[in-house]
Amino acid sequence: MSDTTVPTDDPTGDPTSNQATPGTSVTEDSAPATAKKFRRRGVVTMWLAVVWLVFLVFTAIGASWLPYVNHSCDQFADEAQCITHIDTNALLSERPPVWATFSDTTRPVVRDAAERAGLFGTDTNGFDIFSRTMFGARYSLLIGALSIVFGILIGGTLGLVAGYVGRRVDRVIDSIMNIFLAFPALLLVIFIVGFFSDSGTTEAKSRSIVPIIFALVILSIPPIARLVRANTIVYAQREFVTAARSLGARNSRIITREILPNVFPAMVTFAITGMAILIVAEGALAYLGLSVSAPNPTWGAMIFGGQSRLETAWWMSIMPSAVMFLTVLSINLLGDALTERFRIREAIG
Amino acid sequence: MNDFRANETQTRLRPESGELLRIDDLYTHFSTALGVVRAVDHVSFSLDRGERLGIVGESGCGKTILSRSIMGLLPRRNVLRGGSVVFGGAELTTMSLKDRRRIWGAEMAMIFQDPMTSLNPVIKIGKQLAEPLRVHLGMTKADARATVLKLLQDVGIPEPDKRLDQYAHELSGGMRQRVMIAMALACGPSVLFADEPTTALDVTVQAQILDLIERQRRERNMSTILVTHDLGVVAGHTDKIVVMYAGKIVEMASTGSLFGAMKMPYTEALFQSIPKLEQPAHTRLVTIGGRPPNLIHPPAGCRFSPRCPYATDACTTHEPPLVEASPGHWFACHHPVGSERWHEVSVRRREVA
Repeated sequence: MSDTTVPTDDPTGDPTSNQATPGTSVTEDSAPATAKKFRRRGVVTMWLAVVWLVFLVFTAIGASWLPYVNHSCDQFADEAQCITHIDTNALLSERPPVWATFSDTTRPVVRDAAERAGLFGTDTNGFDIFSRTMFGARYSLLIGALSIVFGILIGGTLGLVAGYVGRRVDRVIDSIMNIFLAFPALLLVIFIVGFFSDSGTTEAKSRSIVPIIFALVILSIPPIARLVRANTIVYAQREFVTAARSLGARNSRIITREILPNVFPAMVTFAITGMAILIVAEGALAYLGLSVSAPNPTWGAMIFGGQSRLETAWWMSIMPSAVMFLTVLSINLLGDALTERFRIREAIG
Repeated sequence: MNDFRANETQTRLRPESGELLRIDDLYTHFSTALGVVRAVDHVSFSLDRGERLGIVGESGCGKTILSRSIMGLLPRRNVLRGGSVVFGGAELTTMSLKDRRRIWGAEMAMIFQDPMTSLNPVIKIGKQLAEPLRVHLGMTKADARATVLKLLQDVGIPEPDKRLDQYAHELSGGMRQRVMIAMALACGPSVLFADEPTTALDVTVQAQILDLIERQRRERNMSTILVTHDLGVVAGHTDKIVVMYAGKIVEMASTGSLFGAMKMPYTEALFQSIPKLEQPAHTRLVTIGGRPPNLIHPPAGCRFSPRCPYATDACTTHEPPLVEASPGHWFACHHPVGSERWHEVSVRRREVA
């Protein structure tokens, strides 16, 4: 009896500690495990976004060398030739994508039927929508990227100067920005594009990429300038700026070496989100027929082109819309990831 | 001394002994919506080469504004300034910004109160330290890096080559203050302002930092101006003490003379509020009653009178002038420590207690 009571009595202290140890180890293990899982999920979506953007950028750059077919009239010597091509290939017109299966009273479509073509189907002219979308990436990305780069250069400079110099300079710059912000964005852009384009021709043929970028730069300057100004004011009052001044640093040096590196992360993450907005804005312009001239595909123009055929050939609008959606989503996800990455560690604690 | 000081061209401004800095009737007033804040009100004193000056006073008495006014670091907007600051024969208050920039860092440098916010969070330590060297002394990248390494060693930072490529948040508070000191010392200034250099640090590190400043001062024949609210800190680290109250100097003396024979009741009150080791445990700390005066509408007469136990009617109407008690010991009080009134009130206070 004594033999049995001793081991049961003795571990009265032990079992609790024994139970406690696995208990605590389980909770300790599970907490970081869930955290890791959560983090990984975010990382996966971010990398998916990066892969999509990289793919798009490469396609956009290399579109001319990639085996894309029949995307626009550009490949033909003249318009007449293009029209004959379209006429002779009338069978290709408005064919659904290869993977589509649907039954419709007017256009029954069966899997593997001969009248289907391409990943994204074809448009009214018999051009491959996938090829057109990838060529469209060129314009959409180029316009988005160039606009935001110029927007940052100009808006960022204005914001830094306004925020650091303050006083009258700040008031003047801020007032101008407020005036631009007071205009309805779309009207402002339509006005600028209309003003700089050849107003004589109703055909948009002569319209180049420049006025569109110009309009979008104007659109992006005020918000960037305001963001940078606000950030600059915060950092200009910080002790390390006084410290730099007390060591004899010039104002230009303080702006570029002390303040800019602190403002930069906010600027870049904002710019990335801004680029997504500008790509959509370009789409809206194209939708109104105010973007790059017709034979060159842009996403907005393609969405607009398919609008009237939405009931019978939905893929003409839906496919470029999907690509634009994915791109904008990817850019935003990347922006979020960068915000996280760029969070400045304050020297506190 | 230091190899990089050989590059110095402006030797004219830095006498090797004698008077280095003279502040005469300096005032800095801020115009605010509520009225004019007299942060520094007609202050005069001088500083010799190699001398250690302490500026003492409670929060909001104008210590920091005084040190920044001397350097000329304050913004120009809404500031009324006057008086003169003569540094090595050159008048600083009328000097152009361009010329003053040449003095900042190279001749006068400042250590700030909070090392947490005084370092740029996104620039590596090494680069921040190299900046003044490259700007003032025109050093090449490699030279600056070597000098920075030596500076970090001088201020007692272990593994300096590693620290060069770290950011401020990777260092501890004491370490950051050492970096700040290294930064201020980089160009070999002749005057070092230390604006509450130890307030943000814990007590064990405080002594190390003060010793470090002291050692560097001796090695470089620098003058230091130590701004603090802690009489205990200045006791061991200064030659001369300026006690400020409400923007004015109320007592100024050599450290020995001040602690040996303090005249101003405010100094006495500050001294009494330091906890003493020989006191029994749980002794109530002596505090100064009331609050620091409003600098927009300072009290009439002696500014300390509303809080002074010895104040009489004369104190609230007539402002006491700064008078010399013994050579070099100045004070501004109608009823200084040791006077008849002082004895009378002290006895009564002791009876009450």
